[in-house]
Amino acid sequence: MSVDALKVNGLQKSFGKNHVLRGIDVTLEPGSVTVLMGANGAGKSTLVKVICGHQRADGGSMTLAGHPFDPANAADAIRQGVVTVHQSIDDGVIPDLDVANNLMLDRLVERSHGLFVRERHLRAAAAKVAAEMGIDVNLRARVSDLSVADRQMIAIARAMARAPKVLILDEPTSSLSATEADRLFALIDRLRDQGVAILYISHRMSDIRRIADRIIVMRDGAISGTFDTAPLDYEAAVTAMLGHRMTDVDVAVQSGSGPVLELSDLRLTQGAAPINLEARDGEVVALVGLLGSGKSRLAEILYGMARPASGTVRINGENYAPSSVEDAVAQGVFMSPKDRGTNAVIAAFDIADNMTLPFLKSLSVGSLLSAARQKTRAQEMVGQLGIVCQSVSDGIGTLSGGNQQKVMIARWLLEPAQVLLLDEPFQGVDIGARRDIGRHIRATATGRATLVFLAEIDEALEIADRIVVMNEGAIVGEHKNQNVDLAALVANISGAQSTATGPQP
Amino acid sequence: MNDRFLDFAIRYGFLILLFGLIVYFSLAAPGFFGPLSAAFVLQSVAITGILALGVTCTLVVGGFDLSIGAVATSALMLSAYSMVILEHPTVVAVFLCLGMGALVGLINGLLIVKFRVPDLLATLGMMFLLIGLQRIPTQGNSIATGMTLTDGTVAEGTFSAAFLWLGRHRFDVVIDRLLPMPVVIFIGIAVLIWLFLGFTRHGRLMYAIGSNERAAALVGTPVNRYKIAAYMISGVTASIGGILLAARLGRGDIASGNNLLLDSVAAALIGFAVLGAARPNAFGTAIGALFVGILLQGMTMMNAPYYTQDFVKGAVLVAALVFTFYLSSRRSGAGH
Amino acid sequence: MLRRHFMALASAASLALGAGAATAQSAPAPLDNPGDVTIALVRYLSTGDFFQAYLSGVETQAAALGVNLRVLDSRQDAALQADMVDQAIALGVDGIIIQHGLTESMRDAAQRAVDAGIKVVAFDVNVENDAIPQIEQSDYLLGKLALEQAITDNGASFAAGYVYVPGIAPLDRRHVAWEEVKAANSGITEAARIGTLDNPIANSNANQARAALQANPNISVFFAPYNEFAKGVKIAADELGIGGDLSIYSADISTADIALMREAGSGWKATVATNPAVVGEVSVRALALMLTGENPGASVIVPPTLITQSFLNDENIRNMEDLGSKMPQFQHADVAMADWMPLPTR
Repeated sequence: MSVDALKVNGLQKSFGKNHVLRGIDVTLEPGSVTVLMGANGAGKSTLVKVICGHQRADGGSMTLAGHPFDPANAADAIRQGVVTVHQSIDDGVIPDLDVANNLMLDRLVERSHGLFVRERHLRAAAAKVAAEMGIDVNLRARVSDLSVADRQMIAIARAMARAPKVLILDEPTSSLSATEADRLFALIDRLRDQGVAILYISHRMSDIRRIADRIIVMRDGAISGTFDTAPLDYEAAVTAMLGHRMTDVDVAVQSGSGPVLELSDLRLTQGAAPINLEARDGEVVALVGLLGSGKSRLAEILYGMARPASGTVRINGENYAPSSVEDAVAQGVFMSPKDRGTNAVIAAFDIADNMTLPFLKSLSVGSLLSAARQKTRAQEMVGQLGIVCQSVSDGIGTLSGGNQQKVMIARWLLEPAQVLLLDEPFQGVDIGARRDIGRHIRATATGRATLVFLAEIDEALEIADRIVVMNEGAIVGEHKNQNVDLAALVANISGAQSTATGPQP
Repeated sequence: MNDRFLDFAIRYGFLILLFGLIVYFSLAAPGFFGPLSAAFVLQSVAITGILALGVTCTLVVGGFDLSIGAVATSALMLSAYSMVILEHPTVVAVFLCLGMGALVGLINGLLIVKFRVPDLLATLGMMFLLIGLQRIPTQGNSIATGMTLTDGTVAEGTFSAAFLWLGRHRFDVVIDRLLPMPVVIFIGIAVLIWLFLGFTRHGRLMYAIGSNERAAALVGTPVNRYKIAAYMISGVTASIGGILLAARLGRGDIASGNNLLLDSVAAALIGFAVLGAARPNAFGTAIGALFVGILLQGMTMMNAPYYTQDFVKGAVLVAALVFTFYLSSRRSGAGH
Repeated sequence: MLRRHFMALASAASLALGAGAATAQSAPAPLDNPGDVTIALVRYLSTGDFFQAYLSGVETQAAALGVNLRVLDSRQDAALQADMVDQAIALGVDGIIIQHGLTESMRDAAQRAVDAGIKVVAFDVNVENDAIPQIEQSDYLLGKLALEQAITDNGASFAAGYVYVPGIAPLDRRHVAWEEVKAANSGITEAARIGTLDNPIANSNANQARAALQANPNISVFFAPYNEFAKGVKIAADELGIGGDLSIYSADISTADIALMREAGSGWKATVATNPAVVGEVSVRALALMLTGENPGASVIVPPTLITQSFLNDENIRNMEDLGSKMPQFQHADVAMADWMPLPTR
């Protein structure tokens, strides 16, 4: 009988009032791949950080191969046999050294290693490691010159040089192509055969289908599902991940008038399936999909930040191919980006300046800004969206997250749009602000087509007239927001089958 | 109560300190207080102040321009070369210098936005390049009327009266021949940049770029164009500083301009602290330059030795940076 | 090399100097075959008019002798300068001129060159070696002559402004003269002392001088023993509108300074200078003497010349070349000479 590699019992962790881990129980077995799923903010990364020693738990315990395990820091965790390969690969490799040195780096750090590097010795040892791991690259190549996949392999090979009991892979395929991912999976298969317990964090259903022996799902800081009987029930896993508390928001579904935005045979990347989509005047369309489903890419293409591989976009019948964000805005396509902290908020500015930033031109006389007009317009929006602030001259940093997001949305409602794109508008927003934003978006929808990019189903159900599901760069389902077949919707998201309860354009 | 005191200190601390200095020097150094002395202080800070206003524009977009000192001395040499050796009229010499400044700014900007060279490195390279380049046409010699050229002829051109007027003319204000031309130009540029940065949409967008470049780009701001423009403004103001320097000295004096660079950067950074702005701003930069000027004038009049000047400049700068970064962060912390 | 223009004047001047016969005698070995002789100039300071002129003097005298000249320029890198001496030794040069530098870094390098059998002279740096003659422009005399002229013009009782930055060797030596004159003349008082080497030097000193003059309106004489200082004081005096009432005495001179001294109403009354080109020529000649086995003496002093505003105006002197032709003692110093020594043609 094999002892469990890692056992986590009742793990607790809070940040201030925010209870992130609420008693997590997880068991990892040797020679098995456990996939950890969970939406953003479910607590996955905190769990990983506790296991790999970056953070200490507030409560609960862990055992490693039967012995108590409480790493003081990351180095301690590695020494005891828990190794993590993080999402950003360059944490795991030294880009300016060659492959051989990277593979042998951990040995160079050991005190038992002599003062001088014996070059021939090092290369021979590195060649051996590379062969064992099935890595086929020039050992003298600089790591920074290698492909992302090769770098990933080297990061994992470095981790394996420690002969770990537990290997944690945090979204390893997020920047890999399909063939590159295949090579990674082959390596993971080999490690599994060697008896390593692997914790694999991913959103990509295709990955999960390929390698999962079992699936653990987290939601709101707790385990919401464990699936370990073959065949694995992937749809149930997605349901457990997304949850869908029925919302008490009633959406009076509009089908809209004439078409505003038309996508014809649009391929997001070379080799992706063509996308055909129509969004009508007055209609709010939610594009739902997991991370990597292609919805961010679609938003970037529509906003002039990226080019499609092929296909056409038309707005009101005219061809639309923006050369830049500036161009897109000039043609009436506005976007409120996700991650407002990095992509939208100007921390040094007050509320009025933040809100009016895109349309300073129309608030100027010649080049001279009219502070009075800025304030008046901002004041109007504060009233309409119910932004809680003392004055529009207050710094943006004085607002709560929800109110900041309202300002960022208000920014794009100052002037009429042809197409309004909202990427994750409810990120880091409390329920009250979410309702306010949704209501206002729907109330002002006439005169434009609105596309909302979302990962959460219940958010989509609150705001959309129509829900379009994306997976692997393609549209795999479309549902009118009326008596939605949630099971079918979840199946679409997890990539099980392609169904549609609404008309396919 | 405590918060309000802190807020008051951050907002008005530097202006009160400035006022205190003026009172102190007026009492301690006879002849310090008066229009003549004020005009002199302004004159001594005019050139570094003009450079500092340019560097303020690059600081606003989150950049930095190390080449301004070298641009100024290059303009100094170029104006001398143009008038003394090529015997150009004043207008040609002035436009050559302004064009050179704009071109250097454009190249700096392109290096930074198109070739992705970090701003400090790009402008550092440009600085060295210019320090060398300005000496090549004269093989390291200063330029003056009557100098012998490499081909054996004598340079017959002179700095025209109109050009020298730019550096030496004094307007009658309160008393005759009081206000020097460079001061008028300094004040003019300060007002222009103050209006531009504070009250035009271009200025607002430049501040947005400096605070969050990605967010500014995502609302459709042509970020690259604004950044290049900032470096061009910096280059042109630096060349104006060089023209005034040439007109004051009356010769093309080889010099590295390092002190011009350091003094003007100090003025711009001290400006962060004025009125608790905690960010680059034209008004603060002008006050910062003035602050240093008053301090140095007063100390010289009290016979303080030369090495205390750098010490005092450094102390003022450190104090200003503490004002800006420590006190302001405490204030914003208390605001939540 | 710059002087085609002055050929006519030059032949007259060289006759007057008696230097025209210099090539009459053939030089002793090894300079009878100068094409085989190589000398090296190892420089510490090179940026600026003075150093440029010094170099041209070295070049013209070396060309007149017909020897090969290698110029090694360390650009104020003391360690590099010492390495360059070693480099010159390795190149097998016959003689080395060390131009400026730090005693600490150059002492051992100079000794290595002497040990290698190479003749060495040093200009304005003390390498503490008996085998190495010092070429000097007498900074003390520069200060002294300027101050004597100040007393001649203004009497022995005045309030003076003084520009001084301690720690700079030539300025320290000029300072000795100032201290002596003050001690000897109780009527001379130092009302204000300023001075900075911030770049651009004239501009920075103008700002300081203005404050000093404003605080001490009784100052009638300014002793600014360096031409950039004097220029700064003059700018300040002109800006204050007291250019005619203030007398400025300085050291060193350049073409631009001549123009400033001759401006209408200029307060710059006199300067004392050694022609840096002449110092360069003397350096090469002293080295040439050593190569032929003669001893130029432990120290070779190039005497300075007093140049007054009235002399410049009377002779209508416009630039350094005019000054050389009108003031022969400024064009040529009669030191480190020999009958066989060819002089640069002028």
